[in-house]
Amino acid sequence: MKQDNESAAIQIALETAEKCGADAVRITYNKTKHSSYTVRNDKLDRLQQATGSSLFLQLYTEGRYGTFSTNRMEGEELKNFIVKSIETTRLLTEDPYRSLPEKSLCYMGGGADLKQRDPGFSDIPLEKKIEIAKMCNAEILGKDKRLLNVNSEYGDYEDHTLILDSQGFSGETDQTNFTVSTECSVKGKGDARPEGWWYESSLFFDDLKYDGCGERALERAVRKLGARKIKSGKYNMVVENTVSSRLVSPIINALNGANIQQNNSFLNGKLGERVFSPLLEIYDDAHQPGAFGSRYFDSEGLATHPCPIIDRGVISTYFINTYYSKKTGLPVTIESPSLPLCTLSGEREGQNEKNLEHLLKGAGNGIFVTGFNGGNTNSSTGDFSFGIEGFYFENGIILYPVSEMNVTGNIISLWNSIFDIGNDPRKASRWLIPTLSFDSVDFNGF
Amino acid sequence: MTSIQRSLHLFGVSTEDLKRLTETALSKGGEYSDLFFEHSTVDELTLRDGEVNGAGSHIDYGMGVRVVSGDQTGYAYTEITTMNEMTNAAKAASLIALESGKSIPAADITPQEFKNHYPILKSWEESDISSRAPFIKELNDKIFSLDNRVNKVIAKLTNSTTQVLFYNSLGTLCSDERPMATLSVTVIMQSGSRVENGSASRSYRMGSEFLTHNLIDEIAQEAVKRTAILFEAGIPEGGEMPVVMGAGGSGILLHEAIGHAFEADFNRQNISIFSDKLGKKICSSEISVVDDGTVQWNRGSVNFDDEGVAGQKTFMVTEGYLTSYLHDRISASYYKTAPTGNGRRESFRYMPLPRMRATYMNNGTSKESDIISSVKKGIFVDNFSNGQVQIGAGDFTFFVKSGYMIENGKLTMPVKDVNIIGNGPKALADIVAVADNSYIDNGSWTCGKEQYCPVSCGMPSVLINKLTVGGLQQ
Repeated sequence: MKQDNESAAIQIALETAEKCGADAVRITYNKTKHSSYTVRNDKLDRLQQATGSSLFLQLYTEGRYGTFSTNRMEGEELKNFIVKSIETTRLLTEDPYRSLPEKSLCYMGGGADLKQRDPGFSDIPLEKKIEIAKMCNAEILGKDKRLLNVNSEYGDYEDHTLILDSQGFSGETDQTNFTVSTECSVKGKGDARPEGWWYESSLFFDDLKYDGCGERALERAVRKLGARKIKSGKYNMVVENTVSSRLVSPIINALNGANIQQNNSFLNGKLGERVFSPLLEIYDDAHQPGAFGSRYFDSEGLATHPCPIIDRGVISTYFINTYYSKKTGLPVTIESPSLPLCTLSGEREGQNEKNLEHLLKGAGNGIFVTGFNGGNTNSSTGDFSFGIEGFYFENGIILYPVSEMNVTGNIISLWNSIFDIGNDPRKASRWLIPTLSFDSVDFNGF
Repeated sequence: MTSIQRSLHLFGVSTEDLKRLTETALSKGGEYSDLFFEHSTVDELTLRDGEVNGAGSHIDYGMGVRVVSGDQTGYAYTEITTMNEMTNAAKAASLIALESGKSIPAADITPQEFKNHYPILKSWEESDISSRAPFIKELNDKIFSLDNRVNKVIAKLTNSTTQVLFYNSLGTLCSDERPMATLSVTVIMQSGSRVENGSASRSYRMGSEFLTHNLIDEIAQEAVKRTAILFEAGIPEGGEMPVVMGAGGSGILLHEAIGHAFEADFNRQNISIFSDKLGKKICSSEISVVDDGTVQWNRGSVNFDDEGVAGQKTFMVTEGYLTSYLHDRISASYYKTAPTGNGRRESFRYMPLPRMRATYMNNGTSKESDIISSVKKGIFVDNFSNGQVQIGAGDFTFFVKSGYMIENGKLTMPVKDVNIIGNGPKALADIVAVADNSYIDNGSWTCGKEQYCPVSCGMPSVLINKLTVGGLQQ
């Protein structure tokens, strides 16, 4: 992406902050370009195109700290904004824990290309983008009389981010992203109009697999027809790889430095302890080329490192940035995971295929969860309760759809009842969480 | 200088520019076009570990151009309001009309004034951090004084002012100043090794008069009460049971169970479970449900929506009958009715969609105490965190932070952290008693349909015969 007014804006920001007495400053400049095209049934329904840019400032002055952002980057207006920002910061109470990171922990450059940007981003013709969305709809239009409506969307975006700080850190990232999705609704007997969806995503246009997107969405909608509520009880639970990250995110949140320091985490005080089943491994595969989320540094400039998060059920790391390191006395790690990969312990490099079919067979009877509907997790205790949709299965065979049910429990207990973990994470996701299988989970129905 | 003139000056455009841009937007066809200019400033103040030591200010500026051709929409935005950049955006949006070939020229400009539902008594510009920070500190100190189990307090004050200039090809030209103030707090309490968290918030379209000692006291009391009860609470046995929804925040039921399904974009596409129910009896005659954009200072109120339609009160359900969907201009045209002022958007970066405002149920005739007494075994809930709905299937959920079991007509064991799931049409038809204690909950409710919009909700206490409550199995 061409950086037109980027240099000028950054220069003004740095000079003005320095002139006004800021002790330290971090500047993040971001520029994006995106477009999307939605086809409803057989005609273009929505078209959106835009570019944007913003400047984000973190100011450290007289032991105080403030964050400021603007997309108004004309000379005088930007200068005035920064002057006012520093005045605002000076009115705060001192916070001795705020500072730029230790320079030796920051990314120094020299890493190989992580293959995050398609250089042909701007060359894709508009007609091709619309055609892709139309092709997805064409796969299913007129193919099933139960089909009520179908929307397919092609979308792309390009993101350029530059981070600079006053102690000399400079880091730049460029990323492109291409997505295609189909959503459709069907109607059988009764009033319900179940929806089905599918999406694909890639960092490079040529890797976008849009063939079959429409067909998969229709198949996923039709199979929900006739859903019923079943009896409350303990069932084995298999969770599809499209939604399994929902069960990992409470763990990642609980490892966050802010939650640890604020005593609002069910994993507080558990670093180095075996909390989960020894079967569980979550690894931050931060430098995998061509994968969503791969990066060499975080928003502070701290260098990322591939490392275990959960190792054979043991908590291997918290996510501690500079601020929370100083507040807690824990060593700096990184602000958040880059590319968490969930596997059975010791099978990260494993090649043997273990997909949904294998996990359903292994579980025998139970409920196969394909969607979560609302719900939440108590960050202090790990107690959770989610609405679900999915299917009842016996002997590994899916029998019928279920709906209007909840699954309830505690995240620690749940992950101690993990029975099996597939090796089929969706490459279209930022978190690589495969199909999961759990023993004897509480489901609430009638 | 009028408010419209001030807005034209702020965005650096003339009425001739607006007309020219609209003509460019409609140059390839289409029946309708609008321009939405927005300048917003957001200030934040944060308290952690007893000190107000985090601040932020954020400016966002830009304009969006929309072209409507039939039910098709082209949209583009720019953050730079030179004629060159805006013309490029107008040309990008115009591409939607390539397949239509129809075109209607822009009408003459008619400046419009709307009733102000959020008069500002004292602008935020008149108050700096030095005058705001003591209120947050007071909130922290008050909370610590109420319970010795309080361990941490995280409080945040966010205030914003958004200037909007709107023009459309029908000639409507209007401007608005939209304030918003939100104070929220999370309390962490510890008793022995047990830790619990709770929160409370208030949000209004107000200036700095929002900050009062009464407000601080109200939020502090609520946050501590909501957290303290969790130490006595357990996870109930789950399953189907009668549910008494307490007054106020239980309006989340209306938002999730029926509100979204009444948004007319879903209905014109025939994908809502209520798509063929307009004009039909869907629940008890005691039930009337309103979506209201005119409640003074309410978080969901709009003087005019983001399509230049006046904020108004829309009866969705009248004495048990589904009387209106919630319309934007596109769905209103489809249904050959007037738009209801529900065309809203998160910012200039988004095209408007039918969205709720303040959604509430009118009072019934029962007493809450009689409703509770009538339940042999069930659950009473009145503190929620989030909800969701599947528009087509009709299944909705909301997460209960705390409530009570009802046994033999009395509130007994406190309960917490359970999800409740039901089906919209069934749940609505299953409301068998409506109390006389309706009020709007003024927490910081935010709806996330494709884009974020401030809303609010309210309800009297009601009894629903049967919903599925999350819980543990014996």
